[in-house]
Amino acid sequence: MPTTTGTGTGTGTSTTGILHRLASDDQDVKLKALRELKNQIIGNRTKKLSFLKLGAVPAVAAILADAVSADDVINDNNYDNKNNDHNYSVNKNIIVQSAAVLGSFACGFDAGVQAVLEAGAFPNLSRLLSNLDDKVVGAGARSLKMIYQSKFAPKYDFLEEKNVEFLLSLLNNGNENVNGLGASIITHSCKTSLEQKILFDAGVLKKLTSLLKGSLSQRDASLESLATIFKNNPEVVLKFVGPDSGRALGSIIELVKDRFIRTRLLASSCLIVIRNTSPCYLQDVGIKAKLINTLLELLDDPGQIGEEASFAFSSLITQKEDMQKLAFELNAIDKLYNHLQKGSLHPRRFEGILLALADMCSKLECCRARFLSLQVLNLVIDALAHESADVRTAACICLRSVSRSIKNLSAGYFMNETVVIPLVQLLNDPSTSVQVAALGAISNIVVDLTTRRSTFIRCGGVKQLVQLSKSMDATIRLNALWALRNLMFLAENKCKEGVFSELTAPLLASLICDPESFVQEQALALVRNLIDGCIDSVEYMFAEDGVIFDAVGRQLQSASKAEIGIQGMYVLSNVATGKEFHKEAVINQLLPHADNGTQSCIIKFLQSNDSRLRTAAVWAIVNLTCSSPGAFSRRVKLRDTGIVSQMKEMVNDPCLDVKLRVRTALGQFTTFEDGSI
Amino acid sequence: MSPFWIVIRQLAEIEAMALSKKVITREEWEKKLNDVKIRKEDMNKLVMNFLVTEGYVDAAEKFRMESGTEQIADIDLATITDRMAVKKAVQCGNVEDAIEKVNDLNPEILDTNPQLFFHLQQQRLIELIRNGKVEEALEFAQEELAPRGEENQSFLEELERTVALLAFEDVSNCPVGDLLDISQRLKTASEVNAAILTSQSHEKDPKLPSLLKMLVWAQNQLDEKAAYPRINNLSTATLEDPAV
Repeated sequence: MPTTTGTGTGTGTSTTGILHRLASDDQDVKLKALRELKNQIIGNRTKKLSFLKLGAVPAVAAILADAVSADDVINDNNYDNKNNDHNYSVNKNIIVQSAAVLGSFACGFDAGVQAVLEAGAFPNLSRLLSNLDDKVVGAGARSLKMIYQSKFAPKYDFLEEKNVEFLLSLLNNGNENVNGLGASIITHSCKTSLEQKILFDAGVLKKLTSLLKGSLSQRDASLESLATIFKNNPEVVLKFVGPDSGRALGSIIELVKDRFIRTRLLASSCLIVIRNTSPCYLQDVGIKAKLINTLLELLDDPGQIGEEASFAFSSLITQKEDMQKLAFELNAIDKLYNHLQKGSLHPRRFEGILLALADMCSKLECCRARFLSLQVLNLVIDALAHESADVRTAACICLRSVSRSIKNLSAGYFMNETVVIPLVQLLNDPSTSVQVAALGAISNIVVDLTTRRSTFIRCGGVKQLVQLSKSMDATIRLNALWALRNLMFLAENKCKEGVFSELTAPLLASLICDPESFVQEQALALVRNLIDGCIDSVEYMFAEDGVIFDAVGRQLQSASKAEIGIQGMYVLSNVATGKEFHKEAVINQLLPHADNGTQSCIIKFLQSNDSRLRTAAVWAIVNLTCSSPGAFSRRVKLRDTGIVSQMKEMVNDPCLDVKLRVRTALGQFTTFEDGSI
Repeated sequence: MSPFWIVIRQLAEIEAMALSKKVITREEWEKKLNDVKIRKEDMNKLVMNFLVTEGYVDAAEKFRMESGTEQIADIDLATITDRMAVKKAVQCGNVEDAIEKVNDLNPEILDTNPQLFFHLQQQRLIELIRNGKVEEALEFAQEELAPRGEENQSFLEELERTVALLAFEDVSNCPVGDLLDISQRLKTASEVNAAILTSQSHEKDPKLPSLLKMLVWAQNQLDEKAAYPRINNLSTATLEDPAV
C-alpha cells in the first residue's frame, strides 16, 4: 500500500493540516501538501469551496510565485548540474503541482477563477508557457485554459499585434495543451467582426483548419474556435467556404459522423453557425437531415453532450420552416417527447428539450398536432411548477408556441383550469423572465374564440395582468398589455366591462403616454380592441372627461413611429363607427384649428411610406364619410383640408388594400358631389 | 382440391426454389480470398493498436522492434505503463491510489468527468464496506459522496444502492451484492482506462474486436443467401466446408 496520507475523509483537522503544511519551510513537506490538496479538490466542488474560504488560493499562488523565481535563479546560476540537483527537481514539481491546484480551483467554478485572478496568479501561470520543461509548460497551459473557459477570464486583446503573434505561437506549439489554450482564448475573447477579421488575416483560420487533421483534443479545440470566428460574419465564412477551403468544409462535414460524441456535437455546431451566418451554404437536403439526425442521436448521451445537443438542435431549426418540416418528418417530436417522458431530468436538459419542442411548434400546425396527440402538454404543464426558473420559462415558451394553433384555440383546448391556473400563478414569479414568458403564453391562450374567457377571469388573471401593467419593468408592462389586448379581441361586453373597471380610464390614458413607445403601441392596440364591435363600447373612450380620447390625440400628433400611428388611427376609426357626436369628436381631433398652423396629422399619414399606416388613415376617412346625418359637413371639412386631392393621387397605390379603401372613400365623396349639383 | 389451394401450393413451390441457396465450394472461396490484397503494414498496425489499447507494453515494445511498426496516434509507450498502473490499482481495490495516479497523469480528467469521479468514489466506498470499516464508510459516504448525490439524481440512486450494502448481514446473498463482485471493480477500471485513453486522444476500444464482430455479422448475412466455407472458430480461423 503506497498511501500514507491517512484516510483522506476530509475532516476539519486534516483540512487545516494541509494549509499548515503548505506554509512549511521544508520543500518536501510543502510539495506533499500541495499534491494532497490537489487530490482533495479535483472533481469535488464542496471541497473547492471550503478550501477557498480558508484562503488556500492566495497561499498556493504565493508558492507558485516563489517557485517560479527560484526556477529563474537556478537556471541562471547552476546550469550544469541542475538535473542532478534534488532541490531543482522538487522546485519544478512544486511548480507543476501548484499550477495544477490553481487550475483545479478554476475548473468549472467561477468563484475559484475569481480567487485565482485576484491572487495575481495569472502572470506567473503565463510565464510557465516559456519554460524549458514540457511538463511545466503543459501544467501552465492546462490551468490557463481552465481560466479562459470562464466568463471571468480577462479579455484577450487581439487588436494588439504582438498578442496575435503570441496566439499563433500557441496554436503552432507542439504541446496539445498549449494548442487547447490558444483555442480557448479565441473562444473566450473573439466577439466582434473586427476581431474575427484580424484573426482571419493573421492566418489563424488556416492554422485551425490544419489542426482539424490532428488529435482528438486538437480537432475539438479547432472546431470550437472556428465556430467563434465564423459567427455572424458572412465575409469570413465566404473566404472559408470559397474555392480553396472547400476541402476544409468537407472535413468538418466528415467530423459530424466522428466516433467521439463531443466531436460530433462541435462539428454540427460549427456547421450550424456557418448555415445561420450565410444561409446560402449547406442547403443540401442530405446535410440538413444528417445534422438533424446527429443532434437527435446525441440527446441520448446522459452527460453534458446530451444537454447541449438540444440547444444546438434549436439553433438549427429556429425560425426556419423548412428545417422544422424536415425534423418533423424525421420524427423529432416523438424523439424529444421520449426524453421528456423519462422524468427526473437534469434542469438544463429539461430546459433544452422544452425549448426544442417550442421551436418545432413555432410555425407548423402538423408539429403542434403531433405534440398534442402525444399528450406532451401534460408534461409541459407540470414543468410550469418546476423548481428551476429556466425550466419554468422554457415551459411557458413551449406553451406559447403550441397555443399558436388557431384550430385548437378555437376549440377552447387551452382555456381550461389545468392550463390557466398554473400560468396565472407564474405572473407572481420572482423571476422576471418567467413572468414575461408566462405573459407570452397567456397572450396566445386568451385569444379564445369560444366564450370561455370567464375561466381566465375567474382564476384572477385580469387582476394580475392589470397589476403587471403598472410594473416598473417596461418589458413586463408591454407583455401584460399585450395579453390584455388579446383578451379584448372580439370579447363579449361583460368581459370588456370587467376588464375596463379593473384597468380604469386614467391608468389606460397614462399607459398610452408611457415613456416607452412599444408600451404606447400596445396600450393603443388594447383600446382599439376594447371599443371594437358593439357601439356602446365606444363610450369607454369618453369616460372620465375623455382622458383616453385626449391621450390618443396627443400620441397621434407626436407619433414617433409608424406603429403608433397605425394603432392610433384604428382607434379613431373604431370611434368613428359610433354615434354622431363620436364622429364629430374624431374630426375635431384630426383637423386641428387652422390658427395653430401645423399640418394635419392625417395628411402626413396618407403620405407615409408605410402602407399599413396609409391603410389605417384611409379607414378613418371611410368611417367618417359614410352616409349619416352629419356626414355632409364632415366631408366638406375634410375636403377643405386637402384630403380629397391627396387621395386622388393614391387611386393607383401600389398596396392593393390602400387602393381599394381610397376608391371606397372617394366614392363616398363623389356621391356627395353628385348630390350637391 | 380447389383451384385456390392449387395456386397457393404452386406459389409455395416457386418460393422454395427461389430460396434454395447458392453453394460456393472451398476452391472458389479460397480463390476469391486470395484476390483480396491486404497490406502487411496494415495488419501490423491492427495488432499494434490492440496491444497499445489493451496496455500490453512489453508485447507492444517487442512487436515494434520485430515488425518495425511505428507507434500509432503518437502514444508514448511510457504512458501505457502509467495507464496500466491506474487500471491495476482499481482492480486490486486501491482506489485512492488510482485517483492520485490519474490526477498526476492529467488533473483535467476527474475535474471534467463527474460521472467517472463519482464511480471511483463509489468504488472506494465499496472497498471500505468490503473491509468491514463501517464507521469510516459511513463518514466517507456523508462527506464525499452525499454532495455529489445532491448535484445529480442518478448519482443519488447509485449511492443509496451502495449504502444499502451496510444493511445486510450476509452481503453475498443480498439484492445489491453484485456491487461487491470483482466485475464491479473491472467495470470501474475499464471506465478509468477509457477516460485516460480519450484524454490522450486515443480511441478507447481496440479496432480488432469490432472487426471480428463485423466478420460474424457478415457471415450471418451471407448464411441466408449462400452456403460457403465458414469460419466458425475465430481463434483458429479455419475454413469449414459448407454443409450441403
